Amino acid sequence: MALASVTDLSFSYPGRIPAVRDLSLEIEAGQVVALLGPSGSGKSTLLRALAGLVPHFHGGTFSGRVVVGGLDTRTHGPADLAGTVASVFQDPEDQIVMTRVENEVAFGLENLGVPPAQIWPRTHASLAEVGAAHLAERRTVELSGGELQRVCLASALALEPQLLLLDEPTSQLDTEGADAFLVHVEQARCAVVLSEQRVDRALAIADRVIMMEEGRIVLDAPIDDARAWLTTRRPRYAGGLTALDPRQQPPVGAPLVRLDEVGFSYGSGPDVLRGESLLVHRGEIVALEGPNGSGKTTLSKIAAGLLQPGSGTMNREGRATYLSQEPGRHLVRETALDEVALGVNGDEALAAAALERFGLSFATCRHPRDLSSGERERLAIASVSVSEPDLLVLDEPTRGIDPDRKAALSEWLVEQAESGRGVLVATHDPLLPAHRRVRLGRPLEIPVAV
Amino acid sequence: MSPGPATALLAAVAIAGFLVDRVWALAAMTLVLVVVCVRAPVERRFMYIGGALFGALGVIVISPLTWSSGGGTLLWEGPTLPVIGPIDISTDEIHIAVVNGLRLAVVALAFSAYTLRVDHDRLVSAAGFARRSALAIALATRLVPTLERDAAGLSESVRGRGVELHGARGYATLLSPLVAGSLERATGLAEAMEARGFGRSGATRAPRPPWASMDYIALGCAVVLVGVAALWL
Repeated sequence: MALASVTDLSFSYPGRIPAVRDLSLEIEAGQVVALLGPSGSGKSTLLRALAGLVPHFHGGTFSGRVVVGGLDTRTHGPADLAGTVASVFQDPEDQIVMTRVENEVAFGLENLGVPPAQIWPRTHASLAEVGAAHLAERRTVELSGGELQRVCLASALALEPQLLLLDEPTSQLDTEGADAFLVHVEQARCAVVLSEQRVDRALAIADRVIMMEEGRIVLDAPIDDARAWLTTRRPRYAGGLTALDPRQQPPVGAPLVRLDEVGFSYGSGPDVLRGESLLVHRGEIVALEGPNGSGKTTLSKIAAGLLQPGSGTMNREGRATYLSQEPGRHLVRETALDEVALGVNGDEALAAAALERFGLSFATCRHPRDLSSGERERLAIASVSVSEPDLLVLDEPTRGIDPDRKAALSEWLVEQAESGRGVLVATHDPLLPAHRRVRLGRPLEIPVAV
Repeated sequence: MSPGPATALLAAVAIAGFLVDRVWALAAMTLVLVVVCVRAPVERRFMYIGGALFGALGVIVISPLTWSSGGGTLLWEGPTLPVIGPIDISTDEIHIAVVNGLRLAVVALAFSAYTLRVDHDRLVSAAGFARRSALAIALATRLVPTLERDAAGLSESVRGRGVELHGARGYATLLSPLVAGSLERATGLAEAMEARGFGRSGATRAPRPPWASMDYIALGCAVVLVGVAALWL
């Protein structure tokens, strides 16, 4: 008997079009399933249905049947399913309840009514399993994103679930953090359904692949068959993106921003930057790379004029705009039109044109927070580019986005450079197009073609 | 010290702050609380300590100008303003301003010490009959630094588009998206809690270390402090 079975599942969130339609599948014990698909394809809804959160937490219109571990989700809510199923969501900050790590891991065990004598041993064993035993006494607010997500995984594994549901758990992590996280997922002793945009890594640990588009399953196959299918039908998903076709090196334009021997520290804290230099010309894309904590974000903000260097000099010609990490969280107006118009002194004609350019005309009068995550990101990019700045600074723009959107963003960056803008991108992504890659933390500059 | 007695002691200090009207006693309580708060992690403590002390200083400096006691020695006499009336400073007004300022400092620092030093998780576990309420308070307390980060992110998002925020009115425009963002976070958190079995019947508690003698002493001190403040100070 299958561990989980989904039969003819259709579901619509209140007031929305169906998020998933006529889904049927079975998941066997111990199977690792990679769940792929573009944003908005219904992956998260399927995971929530397997956890009982759909429809119990979200409401909406539900039809079909989902049975997990013998429990029918129509009659058993998420709290009943907890323990049989455990979930890790996208943003670790939105799932941490307690202030200390060991209490966070113990929280789920307490809720499930685990005998008190077993709670601390299971908590510490679970933390050790994900390599986070040393964090047990730490405050959760002091942890990095990667550490927090490992604590979330430990919290899920401590429940000893039969089915582990992971909804883009590495989207907020850097490359090293994501790799470490997925190593621990691979070692989990239960069935796993992993929704993941870092496709190559997901495929590396999966036994089976399910791909969704527009709420339907378009592929459900063992890993080898799936790789072959993806290679021919969805090449961007077949083992990750490859570098974009090399293009002619553009003529280097005038220097736009020059940072010389820049140093910076936040308040009385340690130095984040020490004597870093950077030059960006018109018409080129510069990728700013380096491990977490190397100061990529800080240097980007200095280049954009949001921070003043503590030492050294910064000279910039023309205007710069800056797109922060998680831009979808930082939208500030009541409609998409107003959001974009903010950058051009309320000029609605320019804003409407920018919305159209990014395929968001339908959202003109909608509240930005009513849009999907992908639409919000496009809105944020429209908002920083509408004023046609001389320098575009983007901080980790490909984090957590699907391969199709990443390809579209790459094309857009190249277009921006070709139109004479300078583009500075702080990124961990080695496949993002760039004319030069500047690595912080060691004096290395690698020229590459776009 | 266990979080229950620590919270009781801090609450007693805050109550005593309202009851006491001797400057030396209030100053002593302020000093002790500053020492307690200073032992918190360096990156968090200054906002709390600074906020409490600057707030108190504001009361001490401004309040003598806003009313006239009619008693004490008149030190300075200024103009008479519409609505406010005569502006003057007397020894009585200064004394009362110092008392009120120190009271504010004591209450704010007691809250700061609670936020910075008390283990809220253990406090939630210790709350036998009102665990949900205690958890709600702990989550609300934890929300403060998250809101702070979100507010900084919103401000940066606007400035990143070349738009400057001017004055209180400019920053007030960020209030609505800040609230909307915190509601989104709250919904996400509620979903994650439910997925982890929160609200299921038959919950248990992880065993906690029993109270030590220091905890009983702290509880006794809390009772004595309120009594002494009410009767003698």
